[in-house]
Amino acid sequence: MKFTKPLVTLAAASALFLGACTGGDGGGSGEEAAPVPSDATLSGTIQLQTWSLKGDKFTPYFEKVLADFKELHPDLTIEWLDQPGDGYEDKVLQQAESGELPDVVNLPDSFAYQLAKAGKLVDLRAADPETMDKYVEGAQAGYTFEGLEGTFAYPWYLGTDLSWWNTEQLKEVGVEIPTTQEEFMDAAKTAAEKSNGAVRLVSTIPDITTLEDAGVEVYDGEKFTFNTEQAAQALQGYVDLYAAGAMPPEALNNDYAGNAALFTQGKVGFTTATSSFANQLETDSPNLIPQVEVTKRLVTPPLFVQGISVAKESDNMQAAMAFAQYLTNDDNQIEFVKLAQGFLPGTKAANDDPSKFAAPDASELMKKATALAAESMADADPSTILVYTDDMKQFVGQQMALALQGKTTPQEALDKSVEYCNQSLQS
Amino acid sequence: MRANKWFTPYLLLAPAVIWVLVFGLWPFLNTVVLAFTDARPLQTPNPVGLDNFARLFSDDRFLSSLVNVLVYVVVCVPLLTLGPLLVALLVQTKVPGIAVFRTTFYFPVVASVVVVAMIWQWMFDSEGIINQTLQVLGIADGSINFLVDRWKLIFVAISLTVWKGLGYYMVVYLAALASVGRELHEAAAIDGANAYHRFWNVTVPGVRGGMLLVAALISVSAMRVFTELYVLTNGTGGPGGRAMSIVMMVQSVGKGLNGQIGYASAISVVLFLLAVGPLAFVGVMNYGKDIRLPRRKSKKSPTAGNNDKPLEDSPGVVAAAGAPHTGGEGGGVQW
Repeated sequence: MKFTKPLVTLAAASALFLGACTGGDGGGSGEEAAPVPSDATLSGTIQLQTWSLKGDKFTPYFEKVLADFKELHPDLTIEWLDQPGDGYEDKVLQQAESGELPDVVNLPDSFAYQLAKAGKLVDLRAADPETMDKYVEGAQAGYTFEGLEGTFAYPWYLGTDLSWWNTEQLKEVGVEIPTTQEEFMDAAKTAAEKSNGAVRLVSTIPDITTLEDAGVEVYDGEKFTFNTEQAAQALQGYVDLYAAGAMPPEALNNDYAGNAALFTQGKVGFTTATSSFANQLETDSPNLIPQVEVTKRLVTPPLFVQGISVAKESDNMQAAMAFAQYLTNDDNQIEFVKLAQGFLPGTKAANDDPSKFAAPDASELMKKATALAAESMADADPSTILVYTDDMKQFVGQQMALALQGKTTPQEALDKSVEYCNQSLQS
Repeated sequence: MRANKWFTPYLLLAPAVIWVLVFGLWPFLNTVVLAFTDARPLQTPNPVGLDNFARLFSDDRFLSSLVNVLVYVVVCVPLLTLGPLLVALLVQTKVPGIAVFRTTFYFPVVASVVVVAMIWQWMFDSEGIINQTLQVLGIADGSINFLVDRWKLIFVAISLTVWKGLGYYMVVYLAALASVGRELHEAAAIDGANAYHRFWNVTVPGVRGGMLLVAALISVSAMRVFTELYVLTNGTGGPGGRAMSIVMMVQSVGKGLNGQIGYASAISVVLFLLAVGPLAFVGVMNYGKDIRLPRRKSKKSPTAGNNDKPLEDSPGVVAAAGAPHTGGEGGGVQW
């Protein structure tokens, strides 16, 4: 019996310890987010979290921004955290689950949607409507989610895709750079046939965006609906191209950046990539540059947006709001995109004069790509289907690949994909 | 001082107990509980009974991943149980420079599996060195798509696993072989046994325990295969997801801010049950005698508890049995 007491003590301590391991509510100061007066005195400590930006290129920029803000608010300390590129989603999830989300945090729209849905982010429009109006409207839309009231990040930097061509390969098969999607499909087939599969222009398997571009309604607001006859026809076009040898087999297994890698290796004559791909070419494949041409996308260009959000559980809300606005103001955004070549700032005023953020030492290809990206931005579509998860994307990609190999019909592949996506939505 | 002594063992045990509770038992129990819910990150889970398990058996990807890991086990276990034993026998030979070969066989173990898988990916590419060699030798007319066909992919992944595992298990066998007495081989040779017979009748029984352990470890590793298939398919699982492993499915389904944690937990529970099988088999093979014996003894004599055969050989118990305070016939220690 003398062991009962210690055993009970140990069990109770373990229960408390294990309970602690499941995370807490995070607390927060309970302070409401509101406009910050310009003469506000800020003090205490806040955390800023960026995503894969610490390094030779960006560290001096952040150090300067932090030092400048410190000069304005000497009593405030800002801890800068930078998370590695891989596993950021999991890191953010752990932070949110344990109530440790940094006060000011860099989030892409899809992460922000999940966190906003869980009530972890400040509605910045409601907190300070006047400031929100200063940001590019299309980018604001990226952080304004259906079914949720508000806008949950200040747009920070924006990007879009362009088309990149290997003109040498096109010349080999006597094909001009296409200007429409229909011309592209014809050119890919012609190139494969004339070169006996040596010149391949299709570098990626179709996805729901391919179907959207073909006029298919992918999601009706409640469920996925892309298993239509029209979608099957669009997919059949790619099945025919794969059979004709217009696509390297490895493309069936490619991740999101795989098409650009195939292009730099000279295995395909076409890829899509952001304007910063010009810099990547200089590093990875400089010999290719003389034969590379860049044009606008043949279909609606996507809008990639990064934003700065404020955690609802911040202990120092006023400082967090003030710094989020400071980091994303015109001057700081312009200075940032001077370094992040090929991207555009998130405020309206900063975008008024692109010459302000043009990098003077950029290559000709880079300058052209940046100019085309700026032009494309007017048409860029931020509408991503936020309920379309990575797992769904992977499943759909797997089914599309199976259809391309001819191991299932396009209609069957689409039916299975829609069934899986809808089942995942409900479960 | 004496009053404080009671907590000493608990204090010493506490770090290990807390470690096991926090990083072993708690996640395990949590996974089992979550398997019966519709848990997703940042949302309150609701119980769904056996729905997740029912869904598993109508999920083509799960069924194909189950078949894939079973094929992996069936192929890898014999290859990696016997192959390293033969290599160990070869490098055990005492000839000048044999240490170089031993080290060479161990090299793949040191290399990162991710790096090796990337090299494999490059080698088995449609324009890679394997395809080029096959075409130059006239074995293949065109490119063989090793990396986008289910069974070819599994074959490539298994070849990688075997190549990397050979050296590791070779070391296990080298240790086991050291305990096989030279005199047994000499006696068998005098009795007229040739090398083949000595291998099967002396070496193999001598390393039986090691073989069982190696086979069990390989079975469990093969069921949990991830990196090889993940890297070779760029994480896509191949067309149709038909080259996925069970762990790849867990990762794909459960990761991220919108992961289906409940469903991923159900897959994990099934994987756990599969992996327990080989370990239980080894346990029964190695300790089955010890487990069964007390039961037989206890049928004969309900008081025989501490006096079964293995313990009788223990000097301490023998001494106790001869002490004046022991009980009657077959009686154990009475105080």
